Amino acid sequence: MNPREEKVKIITEEFIENDEDANVGKRKKNSKVQRQPRKKQPPTTGPDKMVSEESHLGNQQEPAQDKPQTRLLSVTARRGPRSLPPIPSASRIGFAEFSMRERMREKLQAARSKAESALLQEIPTPRPRRLRSPSVKELETEFGTESGKEVGSTQQEDDSQSYSRVKFHVSARKIKSKPQVPPGFPSAEEAYNFFTFTFDPEPEEAEEKPKHQDGTNQEEEEGEEEPPAQEGANRMDEEELPHGKDAENFLLGLDHTANEFLAVRPADYESVHVRLQREKEMLFIPSRLTVPTYKKLPENVQPRFLEDEGLYIGERPEVARTNQNIMENRLLTQEPGRRWFGDDGRILALPNPIKPFPSRPPVLTQEQSIKTELETLYKKAVKYVHRSQHMIGSGDPSGNFQLDIDISGLIFTHHPCFSREHVLAAKLAQLYDQYLARHQRNKAKFLTDKLQALRNAVQTGLNPEKPHQSLDMIQKTINEYKSEIRQTRKLRDAEQERDRTLLKTIIKVWKEMKSLREFQRFTNTPLKLVLRKEKVDQKADEEAYEAEIQAEISELLEEHTEEYEQKMEEYRTSYQQWKAWKKAQRAKKKKKKQATEEHPEEETEEPYPEEDPVKPTPPEPTDQAAIEQQVRERAAQSRRRPGEPTLLPELSLAGSVTPNDQCPRAEVWRREDVKRRSVYLKVLFNNKEVSRTVSRQLGTDFRVHFGQIFNLQIFNWPESLTLQVYETVGHSSPTLLAEVFLPIPETTVVTGRAPIEEVEFSSNQHVTLDHEGVGSGVPFSFEADGSNQLILMTSGKVSHSVAWAVGENGIPLIPPLSQQNIGFRSALKRADAISSIGTSGVTDMKKLAKWAAESKLDPNDPNNGPLMQLISVATSGESYVPDFFRLEQLQQEFNFVSDEELNRSKRFRLLHLRSQQVPEFRNYKQIPIYDREIMEKVFQDYEKRLRDRNVIETKDHIDTHRAVVAKYLQQVRESVINRFLIAKHHFLLADLVVEEEVPNISILGLNLFKLAEQKRPLRPRRKGRKKVTAQNLSDGDIKLLVNIIRAYDLPVRKPTASKFQQPSRSSRTFREKHAASPDTRSPTHSADYPLGQVLVRPFVEVSFQRTICHTTTAEGPNPSWNEELELPFRAPNGDYSTASLQSVKDVVFINIFDEVLYDVLEDDRERGNGIHTRIERHWLGCVKIPFSTIYFQARIDGTFKIDIPPVLLGYSKEQNMIIERDFDSVRSLSEGSYITLFITIEPQLVPGESVREKQFLDLLAGDEEEHAVLLCNYFLFLGKKAWLVIGNAIPEGPTAYVLTWEKSHYFIWNPCSGHFYGQFDTFCPLKNVGCLIGPDNIWFNIQQYDSPLRINFDVTKPKLWKSFFSRSLPYPGLSSIQPEELIYQNTDKVAAAELQDRIEKILKEKIMDWRPRHLTRWNRYCTSTLRHFLPLLESSQGEDVEDEHRAELLKQLGDYRFSGFPLHMPYSELKPLIDAVYSTGVHNIDVPNVEFALAVYIHPYPKNVLSVWIYVASLIRNR
Amino acid sequence: MAAGGPSVFLLMVNGQVESAQFPEFDNLYCKYCFVYGQDWAPTAGLEEGISQITSKSRDACHALVWNFPIDITFKSTNPFGWPQIVLSVYGPDVFGNDVVRGYGAVHVPFSPGRHKRTIPMFVPESTSKLQKFTSWFMGRRPEYTDPKVVAQGEGREEENTEAEIPKAAGVCLCPSPAQLTLTFCPQ
Repeated sequence: MNPREEKVKIITEEFIENDEDANVGKRKKNSKVQRQPRKKQPPTTGPDKMVSEESHLGNQQEPAQDKPQTRLLSVTARRGPRSLPPIPSASRIGFAEFSMRERMREKLQAARSKAESALLQEIPTPRPRRLRSPSVKELETEFGTESGKEVGSTQQEDDSQSYSRVKFHVSARKIKSKPQVPPGFPSAEEAYNFFTFTFDPEPEEAEEKPKHQDGTNQEEEEGEEEPPAQEGANRMDEEELPHGKDAENFLLGLDHTANEFLAVRPADYESVHVRLQREKEMLFIPSRLTVPTYKKLPENVQPRFLEDEGLYIGERPEVARTNQNIMENRLLTQEPGRRWFGDDGRILALPNPIKPFPSRPPVLTQEQSIKTELETLYKKAVKYVHRSQHMIGSGDPSGNFQLDIDISGLIFTHHPCFSREHVLAAKLAQLYDQYLARHQRNKAKFLTDKLQALRNAVQTGLNPEKPHQSLDMIQKTINEYKSEIRQTRKLRDAEQERDRTLLKTIIKVWKEMKSLREFQRFTNTPLKLVLRKEKVDQKADEEAYEAEIQAEISELLEEHTEEYEQKMEEYRTSYQQWKAWKKAQRAKKKKKKQATEEHPEEETEEPYPEEDPVKPTPPEPTDQAAIEQQVRERAAQSRRRPGEPTLLPELSLAGSVTPNDQCPRAEVWRREDVKRRSVYLKVLFNNKEVSRTVSRQLGTDFRVHFGQIFNLQIFNWPESLTLQVYETVGHSSPTLLAEVFLPIPETTVVTGRAPIEEVEFSSNQHVTLDHEGVGSGVPFSFEADGSNQLILMTSGKVSHSVAWAVGENGIPLIPPLSQQNIGFRSALKRADAISSIGTSGVTDMKKLAKWAAESKLDPNDPNNGPLMQLISVATSGESYVPDFFRLEQLQQEFNFVSDEELNRSKRFRLLHLRSQQVPEFRNYKQIPIYDREIMEKVFQDYEKRLRDRNVIETKDHIDTHRAVVAKYLQQVRESVINRFLIAKHHFLLADLVVEEEVPNISILGLNLFKLAEQKRPLRPRRKGRKKVTAQNLSDGDIKLLVNIIRAYDLPVRKPTASKFQQPSRSSRTFREKHAASPDTRSPTHSADYPLGQVLVRPFVEVSFQRTICHTTTAEGPNPSWNEELELPFRAPNGDYSTASLQSVKDVVFINIFDEVLYDVLEDDRERGNGIHTRIERHWLGCVKIPFSTIYFQARIDGTFKIDIPPVLLGYSKEQNMIIERDFDSVRSLSEGSYITLFITIEPQLVPGESVREKQFLDLLAGDEEEHAVLLCNYFLFLGKKAWLVIGNAIPEGPTAYVLTWEKSHYFIWNPCSGHFYGQFDTFCPLKNVGCLIGPDNIWFNIQQYDSPLRINFDVTKPKLWKSFFSRSLPYPGLSSIQPEELIYQNTDKVAAAELQDRIEKILKEKIMDWRPRHLTRWNRYCTSTLRHFLPLLESSQGEDVEDEHRAELLKQLGDYRFSGFPLHMPYSELKPLIDAVYSTGVHNIDVPNVEFALAVYIHPYPKNVLSVWIYVASLIRNR
Repeated sequence: MAAGGPSVFLLMVNGQVESAQFPEFDNLYCKYCFVYGQDWAPTAGLEEGISQITSKSRDACHALVWNFPIDITFKSTNPFGWPQIVLSVYGPDVFGNDVVRGYGAVHVPFSPGRHKRTIPMFVPESTSKLQKFTSWFMGRRPEYTDPKVVAQGEGREEENTEAEIPKAAGVCLCPSPAQLTLTFCPQ
């Protein structure tokens, strides 16, 4: 059970208890109700009965309802039960109970004291005249005796409350009953005695009794824990009910005691004084007076103030002084030990005792069940409001604050348009302003007064009237005064001198101005200076002057004499010293003389310890005359001469300005220029323009009045407030003259209270004007000779006031200051101070320091630590040079995780590798969010590659040599790709922007012509397609269009009927080298075929990236499909960048198949009912075109030779002359089968920059050029005439072929395939010829045509071929870079055989893989037959073997229908082999019980050249 | 989040291309497309759209109102490459050729809620005055090879070093911008 549950449980328990309490309460009430009628019972009820009843009820209920009638009796009668022995359980009372009891006791005490006071009150009252009945007396005695017994005894059953109530009632009743004295009742005296006797001892026992009773009650009713509510309830019962009852009782009492007595008495009153007195006895009220410190501290200990010692003491919570005193007094009285007091004599206290969060457990009310407390609440997500420190109260609805900017005007103190007079005027005005300011302050006067006062003070000090002051003190003060007099005098002199020079300057400038006005004969400024002379009383003035001088002289004299005396004193002492020294010296010398006589050797060793003191010179006495001279001189200089009138300058604008028509032209121009100028101000708040003033024309006095007030409603904390002064000249654009920075007003400055202030500005613009204006930043002079040059810059003053606005309800619209500080302090706390210098919060260190000083930050408060550090760093000035340098001072803040941890993160690594464009990850998409979702294997390939960078892996590459080559190629490829990646990010304008070329005039004309062109011409011309850059493509955007047009001369089926015949010689073999002789094409052989029988039903299947499309089936050996097939293109990894597209290795396979229908109907009888045939397709041949070729060529259009296997069982290339006669003339020279294709990519892609990476890599050992060079060299070695042809071919594009000359024929050789073509062969893939390269020269084709069909290869004709080396540039006899000799090592035959086995195995596995739903059976017999046959094919180069082969096969596999063919390829990699096998579609046969045969033969040639033969066949057993 | 599959977060964007201000042009239509990083993939909605042609409103503000809705959901594993919407506005010139009037791009807002974005539009400037004239005359204004380049940073760093490119950076032709309001719910 966790603590919380426990708590809950406890609380519930309490609840239950409370419930019980409530029940008890109810019961009480019930019982009350029950008892109500009993009250009305006649008083005849016996006391015994009452007692028993009472005691019985008392067990669980409060016997608050005692009847007053029986009170007396019951009281006495109750003594019995009360004397029962105490309960032994008293010892069991726990502490909690104890405290509870204490409280109860206090309450009781209060009640009792009340009762007591009531009793005491009675004492002075006259004795009640009451009759004393014997029974009462008896009782009284009984009681008396009993009371003695009762001391110390405890009552178990009775209730203390009832007891006290008894008392109360009794007293109450007493009051009631006293006036009435019926006969037969006790006398007053008796009554008095009775009461006194009865109740005197009670207070004593009451103290103890309730204690135990409480305990028992509690135990019985509630157990250990009694909530205060219960207590309250008790009290309620206690207080409320009796009062109700009192009234009743009173009435009842009247009823029943009507025949008794009634006495009237004044209301009982207890005087406050008495009560206080009594309370004082019982209650301790601590004094409110301050406790002297010595009481709080141990003896003989001085209080110690840590704060004064510089230690940080947190701020104490605010406690009222009186409260503190009370507490201290109480502590002192209660616990004499002083552990509550600190060293400073104050109560120990925490700096801040307030917890930031409440620690009170949640209060559960009865209605709320625990479940509701534990219930989950739905709270709607609240949008996070970004609260920047610079934002003011963004969450605050009243977040609009207002700054009022009053721009009253602008005065130029200098302006380029100022004339010389203006310059002087401005100067004069400035001086006058200065004068006025000085005059107002009148410092000289102030200082003179001060001097006077000081002198008086000294005078009074010298004649002491207060003898009680010590002489020392007086002397000291006088000295102080004197020094002050000296100071003040100096200051006053300086001030006076300044005043005087100022006045002089003013006059001088005014004179200058006057002379200037005279000189130029016009007035520009209305400025006028009037010097008002104030006459002075010459005599008095002279006296004052003289007195002043005398006073000064005397003071100076005094000073000097003092100084003199001091010096004299010094002199005397030093003289004494000198004398003494001299004496000593002399004595020494004498001594020495003696000594040298005695110890001559020691003489030299005695050094002179000191230098000879110079003989002091006595100071000169002061010369009074000199001093006087000095003083007078100075006075004459700085002071008004006596009798001289005081000059008061007054500047007025009363002068008149000369009108324009009287001014010279230059001046008129100037004035016009001024008129054209206007000025306005922009107000920038936080560097943003918020408003601007109207543009005002510049006045002739260069003052501009705006008088505009801008109310800025601000939202951001003001950071800067700037005014920009713009000047416009005429209609030109305004120029920025200057910027004025206004301070942000203090928060106390509100509108109405802000004074108008002037801020000066100046501009650094240079203006030279061609009129009277002096310009700005340009030197000018007032003198005729141009000396005394002045350079004035445009400057001026803006008068403004900035203040915070006051809202409607009088609240200033000021953003709270606290926000600013809080944000900024908390920001500081986070980082160390130095690193946060860069943060924007701290901009002005000086200001910050000032603020810190003003706000009295405690430098020792740890909270202020960083701030203080910062300030100390900042304010220690420029001299502070930290001994470290932080380059990226905020870096630490951003390092949210350590580097190691970062590197450990798989996700980060993945991201990093991707951004580095590592090939494995370059196109990785959707890097998982979590580390755990990243498989470790993602990195495996990469890591392996890194590991194996230099290790050659032979697993994939079967043959070690190839593996090395492949590795090398891989590395080349990588480096090329990397270079491409760099280039990819390098964009030219043309890569980004499509822009038309500037058309030349012909194109323009053509375009104009085009306007007149028909919109839809009848004979449309082909238009170039728009090229698309590859960078923004995605899957499905690019399609490969393959247009299959027609095929020529396909092999045809041989009639199966002839299978046992010897093959007719008439049938043409595929590999007949030369043009078929006419006899083979004799029509006689056509008789072999039944007419109407289709020879072949070919269709074309195009497969690319494992997508397969095929055409419809055509008929005959020269089919025409004319169909367009569309294949989607997917770039590797969806990367359509140029680099990526260039590296696409996929090949378009164009396979030609023959569709063969077999009748599979087993029962001939059903032939009439249905046709049941099976379609088989037999591979005839293929054309392979690499995608890269298409990509680079953009389109491929031409007729291609179909790659037909050397042996195609069941087919022959039979000519049907009847059908094909038309073509004969065209193909006379060629043999083989051809297909006409058109392939293109839609949309057309922009090919990359001539990097033939793909081809280069594909060919693995070199590209066409290298092959061509090699082949050409072979031919040359054989002594043939051979050239290298550089031109364009299909499908290779720009390539190199080899041209040979043999027997009046040119032959064109494809160096890669080894095929050769006659010059006039239409199917020659070489489409145009650019140049020929011979062993000693290079020729460029300059003929009209470049097609090999139409050009003349005779290079000796210079009109047709331009040679590179000619007479002008003879062949220099270059040496070959090729090695002299090529060494051909034999290839390891064992390795080849091994490779052969491996390839065979792999291919077999592949075929089985491609047939996942069928059983693949291998016919071993056939396989071995084929394996034997393949070497024959290699040796015979596929020629003339077919017939023998067929015969052999037929012999061996007579029962099988056999379809298969050998494939012949060069070996480079495994993949092309697999693709080739796949493309034949042999595996597609799904006839049941089909069997396969596959044989591989590798013929090794020297230099590791391997010729691979693969024989694939399917066999179906004939029935 | 599919069980077993990699965790992704979804970003649902819906909103509309509200209106544009092209003081000089009329009868414009706009295209939009999204540009996003490698770790992002659209899962639902249209990645591209082309709006109707709209005419200027007759009131004082002369706004071109499209109110063309956008609704797309992306999934992603990385905030890097946050989607940007690229807008391009086209309209006929004097000769009736469709020419581009403005390109602009803005990131899809990062916080959920309703956002209104106002995008300044710009078009690339011709490299010379002559070209400007001919392109005007022939109705073949310079335009980006792909509007998406405005949202891509690639090549921009070269702008200072290569003489031609700074002009390609585009000059803001339209003082009043096109506006796009996106309302945008997070997932």
